[in-house]
Order: sequence, then C-alpha cells, then structure tokens
Amino acid sequence: MTTTPDGTIHVRNLRKSFGPKTVLKDINLDIASGEVACIIGPSGSGKSTLLRCLNGLETVDSGVLKVNGEDFGYQETEHAYHALSRKRLAEQRTRVGMVFQQFNLFPNMTAAENVMAGPVLVKRGDRKAAAKRAQELLTDVGLGQFGHHYPAQLSGGQQQRVAIARALAMNPEIILFDEPTSALDPEKVGEVLAVMKSLASKGMTMVVVTHEMGFAREVGDTVVFMDEGYIVERGDAREVLGNPQEPRTQSFLEKVL
Amino acid sequence: MITAIYKGSKESAGSMNAALKPRLRLRTPSEYAGWVLSIFVAIGILSSVLTNPNFRWEIVGKYFFAESILRGLMLTIFLTVASMALGTLLGLALAVMRSSHVKPVSIAASLYITLFRGTPVLVQLIFWFNIAALYPNLMIGIPFTDIGMAIDVNTLMGPITAALVGLTLNEAAYMAEIIRGGFSAVGKGQIEAADSLGMSAGTRMRKVIIPQAMPSIIPATGNQVIGMFKGTSLVSVLGVAELLQSAQLIYARTFETIPLLIVASLWYLVMTLLLSYPQSKLEQKYNRASSNLPRKAKAVQLTDPEGAAR
Repeated sequence: MTTTPDGTIHVRNLRKSFGPKTVLKDINLDIASGEVACIIGPSGSGKSTLLRCLNGLETVDSGVLKVNGEDFGYQETEHAYHALSRKRLAEQRTRVGMVFQQFNLFPNMTAAENVMAGPVLVKRGDRKAAAKRAQELLTDVGLGQFGHHYPAQLSGGQQQRVAIARALAMNPEIILFDEPTSALDPEKVGEVLAVMKSLASKGMTMVVVTHEMGFAREVGDTVVFMDEGYIVERGDAREVLGNPQEPRTQSFLEKVL
Repeated sequence: MITAIYKGSKESAGSMNAALKPRLRLRTPSEYAGWVLSIFVAIGILSSVLTNPNFRWEIVGKYFFAESILRGLMLTIFLTVASMALGTLLGLALAVMRSSHVKPVSIAASLYITLFRGTPVLVQLIFWFNIAALYPNLMIGIPFTDIGMAIDVNTLMGPITAALVGLTLNEAAYMAEIIRGGFSAVGKGQIEAADSLGMSAGTRMRKVIIPQAMPSIIPATGNQVIGMFKGTSLVSVLGVAELLQSAQLIYARTFETIPLLIVASLWYLVMTLLLSYPQSKLEQKYNRASSNLPRKAKAVQLTDPEGAAR
C-alpha cells in the first residue's frame, strides 16, 4: 500500500460538505503520473474545493483519497481513518505544490526569499544552495532579474510566476493550480500559461482548475467537467471540449466557448 | 478683499496669459474669524500663565532637575519598560492561546482578558498589594506532597513588586487583544500558502504571520507604551516613589503643590514626546515591505542594477 511518491492521484467516493451544503458528492477520479488534468465547470460546482482537498487545505468527510500513492492526511486502520499529526501532514504537503488564484506570495519577503521559503524554512536546507536554486527557478519563469523585488513591486503576472517558482522549489511530484489566471488582466494571462505549458512538457503532474478553454485544449491531457458536486464528464481534453457527450457539458461549453 | 481679487482678474482678462495665472485659495470670513479668536485665546492663556505669581515658575525650575524627582522619573521609566516588556510577552502567549483550536485553552485566555480589562487598574494594583490577605503563604513545590518551601507573601509583595505585577497583568490583557487583532488582519491566503509549503505552526507564526501583523500591532503598542508611561502614576497610591509620588513627597513638606505638579506634568510631557519618535520610526520600518520603496537586499543579492531600475 505504501509506495514511493509517484505523482498519481486516486479518489474514490469522496464526499465533502460545508454545514448542510454538500459540495462534493461521490467524486471518483484517477490522475496518472505526468498527466495534465484540467477541471472545468460553472462556479459553485466544487472544482476549487476538490483541488483544495487534494493538498489538505480542506478536510474530507468520507471516501478514499490517495495522493502520491499514500492516504493523504490520514492513516487507514481497520475501522477508521485517523488524522495524521501536523508534522506528517506537512511532510505530505511538501510533495504537492499549490498555486493560488490570488498568488498569496509572502509580502514581507522578496521574490527570491519567497522561492527559498520552502527549501530553507521547511526543509532546513543550505541557504546558499537554496538561493542559487531560487535564481535558476526565477530565470526559468522569466524573472531572473527580479529576485530582490518585493511582491508589491511586481505585476500580477510576475507574482503568479514567482508563486509557480515557489511551488517548484520544493520539487513536488504534483502541482495544483487554483484558477491561476483568473485574477490577472488579460494581457498577462499568456505569460503565466506559457510557464505552465513548459512545466507540462517536462512531465509534471498538474491539476488545473481553469476557465481557459484554449489552455485546456492545447496543454491538457484530460478534461474533467464538474457540476453541482459531481464529475459529469471526464475524458481526453480535445474529445470532451470538441465533442462533449453529456447534455450538461454541451450547454456549459456552448456558453463559454 | 476676496471679491477684489475676483473682480481684478475679470477686468484684466486677456492682458495676461490665462494658463499662467496663479490659482488662489478662497479664504472665507469665518477663516479669518477663527484666526483672530485663536490668537486672542492663546494670548490670554499665555499672559495669565506668565503673570500669575501663583504658578511660581522659579520653584518649578528649582525642582525640575532635583535628585528625588529624577530618581522618581527613573523608577517610572523602569516600571514602564519592565511592565510593557513582560506584558507584551504574556500578551503574545495569551493571543496565541486565544486563537487556539483547543476550546478550553481559548476560553481560559478570553476569561483572563475579560477579567483584567473589565476591572480598573487602580483596583487591581491595590488588590495585588494586599494579596497576602488572601494567600499569606506561597507554596512552591510538588502539589499534594510535602516537598517544597513556603514563601511569606507579605515580604515578597512589596510596593514595587505589586506595581510591576499589577501593571504587567493588566497590560497583558490589552496587548493580547492588540496582537490577536494583528494576527486576524493577516489574510487567510497567507496561512494557506504557508500550509501548502508544509510549514510548521511555529515557522508559520514567526516568518509569515508575525511579520505581517507587525504594521497593525506597532502603532497600537506605541499608544500602549505612552498610556502605560502615564498610567504608572497610579502606583503612587501604593507608596512607590515614582515620578508623581516623588513630587507629592516634596509638596507634602513644602506645600508648593502646583509648581511640583507642573514639574511632574512637564516630565510626563517630555517623555511622551520622546516616545512618539521611536514609534513613528518603527511604523516606517514595518511598513516597508508593503511600500514601493526598494530596500537593500539582504544576503541574497542576485540581480543586476538595471533590474532595480524598473
């Protein structure tokens, strides 16, 4: 049951409710290593909640959730799932990167310090080596010159690329993107999508909640369409977007495309 | 006069380039009336202060640097610094407890805060001074065994100790609320970002939450320091020879009540003004991260200067 971290996600009969409102109802999903899965759907359909469950920002009510081949956040015993200690959960989280809609860079740290935050503050790595690696990662996302800038001095697109570099600095097997371009002005969307595209080509497992249908079609391997807490349709990205089978998917895509 | 400016510019319209004409502010009669009134009041008060012999300014001058006054000032400063420092530490602990997910812990903290904010400091000070009436002996040792030692509370709780304990415990309650307010000003997204990197609760607190809470905690703490400085005058009721009590001790002997109260007041004023300078400096320091002014990069200087030029 315990395998080495492998970049896969397996979800079975997952349920999650906020008070009386059930936001995820019986979710089943498999994501293979190196797969780029785009989750689309109307707002309130549970896509962000599902993504947040995948790295423990939301707890799960019931169901099986395996990330990187391990039960995520819980330990299975004969009769129950027991919550892991904060320390063990933190360890699991270091292997799942997260990129937020609102970037959530630490405003009290420079871009380079943000990227170094994981390796230095969490993994207690060597500061010099981390600085060197941060510089490489920032160069990769096209921000080699901006290491000493504070988030407030960067544009939204630049901040989001720093956030991606920060997630990459932990060498995660999986990166989750929660509407990474929704808070950007249209001109800056392209630069973030370009970084994500190059990541996908390097074989990173990516789960992307997005409204960018162009990105889903071009970069996505699979598309998951969610509505009202259910996965309505899942399949090859170009298949689902070009020739949706479910009527609900058809009507959604008609409106957004 | 005002209308004259308007008329004048109308009549000469065209004689001067309109784009170069200065734009003048409108001064209303009530503004001039305000000036005149304020100046009259100021002159009245000033002349009264300077001419009324009962102020006895020569006595003020004589005692301003008197040794016992300066010693009292030192004790006031010590009480302020010590009780602020201890109160802030205890307040931080209370703030962390108050935001705990463990219900009994957070309830305990909020009970403490309610109790100490809900009763007057003066009452608390007198209470701590008389605590020996409640617990004559303090046992230090292992509970429910005979191992340990007893301490006589009456000798332990002298006036200065009681003042320090009273001020500290009271201040902690206020600081706890200020610090907690600062914590809650840090966005939920910041906490999620720290969690998603796998930060421990301690690291998250030290590196993410506290630095970002500082800009809202610092100004409020500055106000607390200034308030505490003046608040120490309350401990004069315990017979602690701080600034006010030192002045009182002199005028009890010489009956120069007003001049000595002026001496004390002037020292409180001077210290308050001195304290507001570091406070504004600290505010600037903690506002830096959110400002657009680039700061000198720390150990990590990775870029060419043209990057900074943007």
